[in-house]
Amino acid sequence: MRNFNNLVINEWLKMSKKRSFFIPYAIIAVAMVVLAWAFKRWAEDMFGNAFEYTAMMASSNGFGHIVAMLAVIFTAGLVPSEHAQGTIKFLLIRGQSRGKVLASKYVAALLFILSMFVWLNVFGFASGAVLFGMEQPAGAWRDILIATGSSLVYSIVFMTLTFMLGVLTRSAGAAMGVGTAALMLSSLIIPKSFYKYVLFPNADLSVYSHGGHPPIEGMTLPFSIAVLAVYIVLFLGASFVTFKRRDIA
Amino acid sequence: MNHPLDIQADAAVLSLRGVSKKIGSKKIVDQLSFDVHEGEVVGLLGPNGAGKTTTIRMIAGLISMTEGDVFVRGSSIRHEWKNAIRHIGAIIENPEFYPYMTGYDNLKQYQRMNSWISNERINEVVRLVGLEHAMKKKVKAYSLGMRQRLGIAQALLHEPSVLILDEPTNGLDPAGIREMRDYLKTIAREEGISILVSSHLLLEMEQMCSRVVVIQDGKLVTVRSIGENSAAAHEEKNFVRVMFRVGRLEEAKNVLGNMDNAEVLQVAEEQSELLVALRYKDIPDMVTALGAAGVPIYQITELKQSLEDEFLKWTGGNRIA
Repeated sequence: MRNFNNLVINEWLKMSKKRSFFIPYAIIAVAMVVLAWAFKRWAEDMFGNAFEYTAMMASSNGFGHIVAMLAVIFTAGLVPSEHAQGTIKFLLIRGQSRGKVLASKYVAALLFILSMFVWLNVFGFASGAVLFGMEQPAGAWRDILIATGSSLVYSIVFMTLTFMLGVLTRSAGAAMGVGTAALMLSSLIIPKSFYKYVLFPNADLSVYSHGGHPPIEGMTLPFSIAVLAVYIVLFLGASFVTFKRRDIA
Repeated sequence: MNHPLDIQADAAVLSLRGVSKKIGSKKIVDQLSFDVHEGEVVGLLGPNGAGKTTTIRMIAGLISMTEGDVFVRGSSIRHEWKNAIRHIGAIIENPEFYPYMTGYDNLKQYQRMNSWISNERINEVVRLVGLEHAMKKKVKAYSLGMRQRLGIAQALLHEPSVLILDEPTNGLDPAGIREMRDYLKTIAREEGISILVSSHLLLEMEQMCSRVVVIQDGKLVTVRSIGENSAAAHEEKNFVRVMFRVGRLEEAKNVLGNMDNAEVLQVAEEQSELLVALRYKDIPDMVTALGAAGVPIYQITELKQSLEDEFLKWTGGNRIA
């Protein structure tokens, strides 16, 4: 286990020592502050307190969607860059199995997403507290948790898709391009019953909160969770099988 | 693998046994078997496209084998990869690092992957390759020579028994090549590590290796000990080819031509040179005879058949790139 932790530390350092690492955090921090100010200035009645503002920002209709995009962009290169730099040759001859190496990369990507949502909540709440006050309505924490949780799942689904594309194509550009395109297209819903088995309409679980309607007739929360689980298992399965068998030429 | 040479696998640090790689119907490497023993520097020699890189990558487990197996200190790379790979240090083509990290951070990455590497060990290998002052610099600021040295450092970090190097001098200037060679010699001596090095540079191999394994089209052509031939040549019964550069060519030709233990093979008028085949022990007699005839001698050179000549002979010459 200590071994695996070390691999995750390695992956985290490889991400965080890049000079561009601060960019997603800066984007989130600036957006939280500027958006709070803009709402206060032009739509004063929209948010009554910091809780409402934070929940809105964390949701996939708010800034959660942008975080998913940042996650896709910044994790697309995790595997391809090792191939491009040639460092994969050293990485895979260290006595750590390929499965473990790939798993450590995936875990680092999950940690990255998690850290962005923590950051978003902290900055959202802080700027909301200053501009909209701290009055706490009923179920405020629950709303924030649901918004953050569903955005988190949403981001992880598309990150996993991008991760797989990175492993399969070994090209960061291709993975990033297809990943962001998928993210854009995910809000397009074809109202046919076969479409409920497609990834896109299921990716955003927040549609089920507050008694909302599912995008397609017959979809339920457990159904969507099951569909997402199947897709994630498929994506990871394809990634691991490919990565373990590949000849490093 | 049931191979008749299996018994030897334990004695050697690194053994290849009937290793083959097939891609489609094309055999890139075909039934390759050879050993690397303790403290030995072995060259893997062959023209471009002979399968050197594929072989090296199969030894490191980066490419899967179609047939055969590689044993490192008795552990199979196919079935006990973890046990086998811990004894291998490798530089495959140019050593590549994370350019935005310092040299030290790069080595730390590899330290975290093997629990037994101490901080002292990092300092030790850094000192060995002479990079103490560059450790805090980012790798993107390194010259190719410095990267090569950092490459050696990472390969030695986990105290391997055998170092495998794929074209380690590619892209280096003459000073860099010499430096690389000196480092490898130092390492083989001080760390007692066996080295397998692939190259198409013959002179390099001649100066570095005690043995060469020559392959072509993925097949083993020959295994030769370096220095064996020249040692044999000095045995008295053997003929050698000697070039005499003399003053009066015609006269010299007559003198040597009249001796029954020498044969003039070639006369080069412009250079005023004679190529003579004779026994090694008879060289002083020739010199005396020429001296007695008043022929001035400017130069006497033994023409050795170089590794290059042999290489061309083995591989048919035309295939070299």
